[in-house]
Amino acid sequence: MWKRTAQGRELHFYLAGINNQNFLMRDRETGSWWQQVTGRAISGALSGATLELAPYDEVTFGLWKSGSPRGMVLAPVAGREKDYDNDWEKEVAKYPVPVSFPGQGLKDRDVILGVEIGGQARAFPLDRVLTQSPVEDKIAGIPIVLVTGKDGASVRAFRLQGNGSETELFRDSQSAEWRLIDSQGNAWNFEGCAIAGPATGQCLEKISFLKDFWFDWKNYHPQTTVYRR
Amino acid sequence: MSEARNRVLGAVVLLLTIASVGLFLIPAFVIRPFRYQSANALSLAIRVKWVAPALTALACAGVLLLAVSLWRTASRAARASLVAALVLSVASAVLARLNYFEWMFRPIPAAGFVAAGDAHLADKEMVMTVLMGSDARAYPIRQMAYHHILNDTAGGVPIVVTY
Repeated sequence: MWKRTAQGRELHFYLAGINNQNFLMRDRETGSWWQQVTGRAISGALSGATLELAPYDEVTFGLWKSGSPRGMVLAPVAGREKDYDNDWEKEVAKYPVPVSFPGQGLKDRDVILGVEIGGQARAFPLDRVLTQSPVEDKIAGIPIVLVTGKDGASVRAFRLQGNGSETELFRDSQSAEWRLIDSQGNAWNFEGCAIAGPATGQCLEKISFLKDFWFDWKNYHPQTTVYRR
Repeated sequence: MSEARNRVLGAVVLLLTIASVGLFLIPAFVIRPFRYQSANALSLAIRVKWVAPALTALACAGVLLLAVSLWRTASRAARASLVAALVLSVASAVLARLNYFEWMFRPIPAAGFVAAGDAHLADKEMVMTVLMGSDARAYPIRQMAYHHILNDTAGGVPIVVTY
């Protein structure tokens, strides 16, 4: 998800092709070509420009609605409801892949969460995040945590550094409500905000990540490492 | 003399036809799903895409002019070839102008929104969500996996939702 402004100009994008199973977009204003996964213009008047990431979450509807009860949801396009395939993930999984990167313990279509900090990229296998949450790690010296919500499907990532001190988070198995606790006696919710303890009211900085297939992430982030624990 | 001239013009028709078909086919071949595309091939395909609309139109006009001038003295077989050349170069000029990818991906013409409480979505459905100022929006992934792209504005910020 990108902010569609470049060099002070509002742009409107349309799909113009597929490059190694990643979309190529063009903008109506200049006709420049853009790679969807990187947000970078690869040809045309805006060549070399990069779109700014629009921070977004990929979560379950139930979780989002409980936090944003007055939010708005994209309506189905009339007449297309039947085309929205429940099994599209299974269908996509059958497609061949244009490039393959064996040898790092991941299959081409394994879903990863790709994090990029300070020019360093790391892939977190989704199944490992779901089972091991909270997953703590360091990228380019920055401590981060990936957390799975109470629905067992929504994931958020945060920077684990408030006021220069590092925190370590644990799932609070004693509490009936879903929360994380740290060694300083704080409790944290899935928004990344402290709801009890000395840090109450403070929120961790959210980190954007990309949910992607391993082959696609690796293709556009050749230097990526893989989270191993 | 005039036969030699006709032969040269016929060869030019052939070359123009091959060129215009190539101008359409090269990017169509490179930018196709499920096949590996090297950075060089993609860059060539995009460069061809930039010039193809103008060049295929020129080639088309050239084929038409030559076909007209050759028509009267041409044999039946030669006339059939001229018609074929004209059809191919017109088809290439038309196809070079069309974005056939949009036929496959069906963009959303005008996005409509419903309140979270009125949406017919199961709690476990995955959505992409943004929060811009106080404007919270959710884009169901099942819908985005079909339409793939949406130009939207959330909290006054122009965004493009892609999946």
